[in-house]
Amino acid sequence: MTAPSAPRKLSILREGTSQYLAVDPDGFRAHIRDNKQRALKSRLMTAKEAVERFVSDGDYLTYECNYLMRGPNEVVHEIIRQGKKRLWAAGKFTYVDVALLVDAGCVSRADCGFFLSAPPIDRALKEGRLEVFEYSNVIMTLRLQAGAMGVPFLPVRSFGGTDGFDHSGAKLITDPYTGDPITIVPALNPDVAVIHAHQADVYGNARIFGTGVSDVESALASKKVIISAEEIVETAEIRRNPGATSIPYYAVDAVVHSTYGSYPGTCPGYYGSDPEGVFEVFRAIMSDQVQPYLDKWVRPFETFEQMLDERVGKPKLEAMRARETAREGYSA
Amino acid sequence: MTRAEAFSEREVAMCTVAHLIEDGRTYWAAGGGTPLYAVLLGQKLYAPDAQYVTEDGVISPEPLLPFEPMMTMVASRAVHHALQWGTMNSAGVHAQLGHMDYGVLNTLQVDQHGNINSTFLGEYGGSGRRFGGPGGADTIAACCWRTILITDQDRRKFVKQVDFISSPGFLDGTPGARERAGLPRDTGPWRVVTPWAMYDYSERRLRLMARVPWVSVEEILAECEWKPLVASEVQVLEPPTEEELQLLRTELDVRGQTTDAAGGWITWDGEQYVRA
Repeated sequence: MTAPSAPRKLSILREGTSQYLAVDPDGFRAHIRDNKQRALKSRLMTAKEAVERFVSDGDYLTYECNYLMRGPNEVVHEIIRQGKKRLWAAGKFTYVDVALLVDAGCVSRADCGFFLSAPPIDRALKEGRLEVFEYSNVIMTLRLQAGAMGVPFLPVRSFGGTDGFDHSGAKLITDPYTGDPITIVPALNPDVAVIHAHQADVYGNARIFGTGVSDVESALASKKVIISAEEIVETAEIRRNPGATSIPYYAVDAVVHSTYGSYPGTCPGYYGSDPEGVFEVFRAIMSDQVQPYLDKWVRPFETFEQMLDERVGKPKLEAMRARETAREGYSA
Repeated sequence: MTRAEAFSEREVAMCTVAHLIEDGRTYWAAGGGTPLYAVLLGQKLYAPDAQYVTEDGVISPEPLLPFEPMMTMVASRAVHHALQWGTMNSAGVHAQLGHMDYGVLNTLQVDQHGNINSTFLGEYGGSGRRFGGPGGADTIAACCWRTILITDQDRRKFVKQVDFISSPGFLDGTPGARERAGLPRDTGPWRVVTPWAMYDYSERRLRLMARVPWVSVEEILAECEWKPLVASEVQVLEPPTEEELQLLRTELDVRGQTTDAAGGWITWDGEQYVRA
């Protein structure tokens, strides 16, 4: 087969009409050139400092996994504690995170792949405190993939024909190669990504074991990247097995040592979830009691570590670790 | 196989889907809960060479059962001894490539053309009620060769046109509608399973093809706001067996989160099954 001799006419067949984060690959490249640290210098800092320096009001925020499963919960708590405002959240693969951040007053826009819709979300929508734009989990992670490739959009084989499409930034175009209709979605380059890893060195070389949603895509696609890690390891240990590095240091702006950082969720291979804590956050959201939840678990404490010490306690944390018996594959 | 004495309606739906699971096929299960349990039930009892992939891209795990509460993805017990650990994009791309034979998902609302709503009931953006969104179901419904949908048998769930298409069925039902929307060729809805019935499609329209022994066709149709086509011969489904229920209750849905008694119970009265 040869390429068609006459040029095909490119046409846009249908367009979503919702607002989406502006697409600007060259602006992103310039940001990377001007702001990312290429030297092997320590980025180790506290969650407080990381959020003060790298999360700004109005930022587009992506977090990896979710509050129940290897979520960057220490950093999420710190964002709530510092009262960040007008964040735009990538609400993919989520039960409770969006509802927590909305009711805490931090998030006012959300792209939806999946997040638990519950009274705090319903109220925020009714009161005009929240705008939602429609995608799906895979469409959100493919948008991050496009952002991580430095291209402005990606053709995708799902999402066409849905009502979500009409309430998104997607377009249906004529594929210039096959002549068939194809959906394209805008690249997503979040302002900030927060990701919880199993291990990282002080420069930000990070290892994530087990499965995940879009850790690597989010890290590469985002202007500012905060990695929290269960363990800080020597760089010599990273160099011992380079194939195990999930995220390279030059994408990373901050490294936070965050042991039990996914509490009350699980960090697979390291500790299981705290079922009591999981039910508590779920119940708080379904019964519209997020404020009492935050008053109990977030606001009274200076740090996440203080919360773990005073509110959870060593015996429970040790029990979570002991219960995690499926450990094969969670090491380099 | 042993006759079961009593079971819940949700258990019936999961067992019906389990009977559809085939050896040598791949199943992409949406989220945790009903779809995943139905696939595992079928694999463990009838189709040991059926393979499944989770939303977070885990290929053919040998999960440690039961799962901890709500920990059906990412968590170590759910992804144990997989052939590969992936990501949401690897699962989505493998489906785009054609590796997923069947998608299994559940929903709030389905229409005559198999379109699925899991986003909004009522006029979008109006005073209706928002739900979680498509999650992984949109890509499952778009890219798997065949889609099995699980829902409740309820008037409000079987409608002429869903309020919001979260995940695609046959769209407006015209030939080629999916392809014109950019979706892969030859894909689409295949079965809808409820605690009372199983549906297939005829010319891209929903058709009642089978019922459970304790419910009549008329009762099923009364629980459909929009009446589906009815096959000339409506088959009778096999009820759950004691072995299926045992596995479901002791290894899969041990806390009853998914199989709770909300939909009512069916019991054996010595001669036939009756709704309690």
